[in-house]
Amino acid sequence: MTNSINELDHAQVILVAGSNTTEAHPQVARRIFHAVDNGAALIVIDPRRTRLADKARIHLQLRPGTDIPLINGMMRCIIDENLIDDLFLSMRTENYFALRDMLLKVDLEETAALTGVPRKLIARAARTYARAQRSTICYCLGVTQHVCGTANVETYANLAMLTGHVEQEFTGVDPLRGQNNVQGACDMGALPAVFPGYQSVADPRIKKKFEQAWGVELPATPGLTLLDMTHNRGAASGSALQKALPRLRAMFVMGENPMLSDPDLHQVEKTLKGLDFLVVSDLFLTETARLADVVLPAASFAEKSGTVTNSERRVQLMHRAIAPIGDSRPDHRIIMSLARRMDFAMDYESPAEIMEEICLLTPIYGGMYHDRLASSHGLQWPCTDRAHAGTPYLHKYSFTRGRGRFVPASHVEPAEPVDADYPLMLITGRRYHHYHTGTMSRLCPTLDREEPRPRLDMHPDDAAALQLRQMDRVRVSSRRGSCEFNLHITPRTPPGTLYCDFHFHEAPTNKLTLATADPTARCPEFKLCAVQVRKGGAG
Amino acid sequence: MNPVILSKDHLVPLLRKISRSRRLIAPLRNEHGDTIFSEITDLDGAVPDLDNQAQNSLKPFFFPQTEKLSSYIIDRDPVNGALRYSFHAHLPENRPTLYFGVRSCDMFGLMYTDMIFLGGAERDIYYEQRRKNAVFITIGCNHPWKNCFCNATRTGPFLEMGFDLQLTDIGNRFFVEADRAGGMKILRNYPQFFRPVTEEDRRAQFQAALEARGLFRRLVHVDLAVKLLREQEPESLFAELSGRCRDCGGCAFLCPTCTCFNITDRQLDEDGGERIRSWDACTFSGFSLMAGNHNPVDCSTGRIRRRFLHKLKHDTAKHGRPSCVGCGRCVDICFGGVDIVRFINSISALEEENGREENHER
Repeated sequence: MTNSINELDHAQVILVAGSNTTEAHPQVARRIFHAVDNGAALIVIDPRRTRLADKARIHLQLRPGTDIPLINGMMRCIIDENLIDDLFLSMRTENYFALRDMLLKVDLEETAALTGVPRKLIARAARTYARAQRSTICYCLGVTQHVCGTANVETYANLAMLTGHVEQEFTGVDPLRGQNNVQGACDMGALPAVFPGYQSVADPRIKKKFEQAWGVELPATPGLTLLDMTHNRGAASGSALQKALPRLRAMFVMGENPMLSDPDLHQVEKTLKGLDFLVVSDLFLTETARLADVVLPAASFAEKSGTVTNSERRVQLMHRAIAPIGDSRPDHRIIMSLARRMDFAMDYESPAEIMEEICLLTPIYGGMYHDRLASSHGLQWPCTDRAHAGTPYLHKYSFTRGRGRFVPASHVEPAEPVDADYPLMLITGRRYHHYHTGTMSRLCPTLDREEPRPRLDMHPDDAAALQLRQMDRVRVSSRRGSCEFNLHITPRTPPGTLYCDFHFHEAPTNKLTLATADPTARCPEFKLCAVQVRKGGAG
Repeated sequence: MNPVILSKDHLVPLLRKISRSRRLIAPLRNEHGDTIFSEITDLDGAVPDLDNQAQNSLKPFFFPQTEKLSSYIIDRDPVNGALRYSFHAHLPENRPTLYFGVRSCDMFGLMYTDMIFLGGAERDIYYEQRRKNAVFITIGCNHPWKNCFCNATRTGPFLEMGFDLQLTDIGNRFFVEADRAGGMKILRNYPQFFRPVTEEDRRAQFQAALEARGLFRRLVHVDLAVKLLREQEPESLFAELSGRCRDCGGCAFLCPTCTCFNITDRQLDEDGGERIRSWDACTFSGFSLMAGNHNPVDCSTGRIRRRFLHKLKHDTAKHGRPSCVGCGRCVDICFGGVDIVRFINSISALEEENGREENHER
């Protein structure tokens, strides 16, 4: 997030895109509710009528995958009504004319037809967002998990820059991160092209700094993305890019369950089974761990100390509550033992000592010492040294790259449009009571009772057309596979669109999804694939 | 028994004496700044925190979040060789315990759970086992905390009965009253710590109790809400608040008087497993889910209805008073903003509006 979660309380306009905030980020939703209580206008962009949309002043119920034309339409209205922030544009941004030229070609009638959102509503949302002093954008995986995920995000950034709704409190462009430490994992370089703190692997000076600190030679080329690893055995349908990938021979998977969470599971299975050696470190024997040559028992959150970094870049100290059970060990102990077996003398006394090294080598974490974190509710990066108080919101006087660059984008068709054989669009996501592939939450009796079986949300019109009834067993098939759900008929899902989660091994949703991914981020289009539905069960 | 005086200097020495023969549980501030009822094993290292409200009530000590009720093994009947299940009950240990620094609301909460677990024809043996050897030294609240409203539920800030000993802070000393046998026994066994009260002590105690009543920061019309609920159920308010409820169960888990539980069996290996009792909450949809997936409650609009009707209406009908003790814990824990104070205030505000409209019509 460019801004802090608490700032949402005082925003005048909150635009939420592709986020079922009440279910996926309840602690953020609480701030949004609070802001709405205090008179803030809420704009929700979502194909489904989520519970948050019930609270919205404007719900733009767009056709799935049409974020870019919708936001371009809003920006066109903003230009037409001269609601742009001239000063911000001239002082802080570049390439505005390219955006303007593109927007001037936008036909709002076409936009309305393409997105399914009435023109008047687009204009109203544009006015509401642009006119307020303090407008903020929150987005989530509904924006990013598309073949055009990067362009989607750039388009929302264009909207924020066009109206100058960045660089100050209560504004910004805020991606809501899904897990307690997914931000921390990215920050610490669990990405193929960067060292910790987003320092480029390709930069020779940075590479040298880390080589000096660790006393080893480091590769100068970026590694593989997750998708390129789990889809490493180039499928017949795989892209040329995938076929050109170096062949993976071994993998070490920590706390991840790609055998349920990655798209087109058939390909994942083929890849994992084709490895010479697979090691999985996890709390329980997951679907992925079952394929492993070696499984290492990892300690849970309650059994280890360290830090986690949340959506708002806040690094928080986490204290061990109980001693590790059985043979399980905290992650850093597992890695250290492995490193020593590989003749690298990795030896840290404590997580605090590891943090000291992070402070030394990672400028944005420069002042995040454990003793400082212990005496506060955490610090937000950038926090460059011991005296630095942390940064509640980013881009105050300049963007990281200097001027903010407008990157105009136009509509990208879904990778797999619907057709006569597969006439329905399937959106995948999460449910409130379960976490990820259910490896933990499904073992908790109370949570599992709340959401005991995989369900498929369908609009009553579609159900009537298919002659299906509430709680019927249905078989959903795509070109790649099929699985069974219990039908949940609800008007919250629009006609022609289905919604399901991926928490259940009984219904491995990712057998259905497709691995076509955004060319830049390599994030697959989890949010859309074409499917058909038949009555399932014994019949 | 006449009240007595305990000098503050003598508090720790008294606790030390009692803790020779009893486990000591008191509010304790931990290294992270949280005050939690915990066991104190070393009175030199840790002194009870009487300045902050404990985040937990006493409920978990008598009715734990999860507890093993019994274990089962699958073995063969020695007579006919048939496979059978054998069950073995697991009764908790029964350690004499002193609960010190208990607030009036929590003491009252425990009297309520006594009624639930021990009041009927069937007594809950697990609860009873923990309850048997417990002694309580409560302390009245001279300074109610920010979410407290026990004045409105009439469960504090001082108690008339139910405690073993009740302390009132009157400067450099405590005014000590005894109600039940456990308290009298302490006064008898350790007379050296106590002195008789003077007229001045009595005046100080009266003054402290009087002042405390004026220091509540929240005005919560519990009686009005009870009355209004008897007349009519505010369906639209239930729907509005149910939509906000985040279904976390935090209110029920922290509530001193919420006693719903679920029982699940956990298989440990091929040959056996255990039966677990764990806290449940009426706000969960699974709470009322029936076979065939039928649910008599539409949780999107009625999730919190059951909770507030139980606390304010059904318990009043059954036991003569609402089962909310005004501790205010659910106010801070609820991140949907649907705690009982918000409910009571909303229903009171609705009534006020209606009243205004009626006046207007006239």
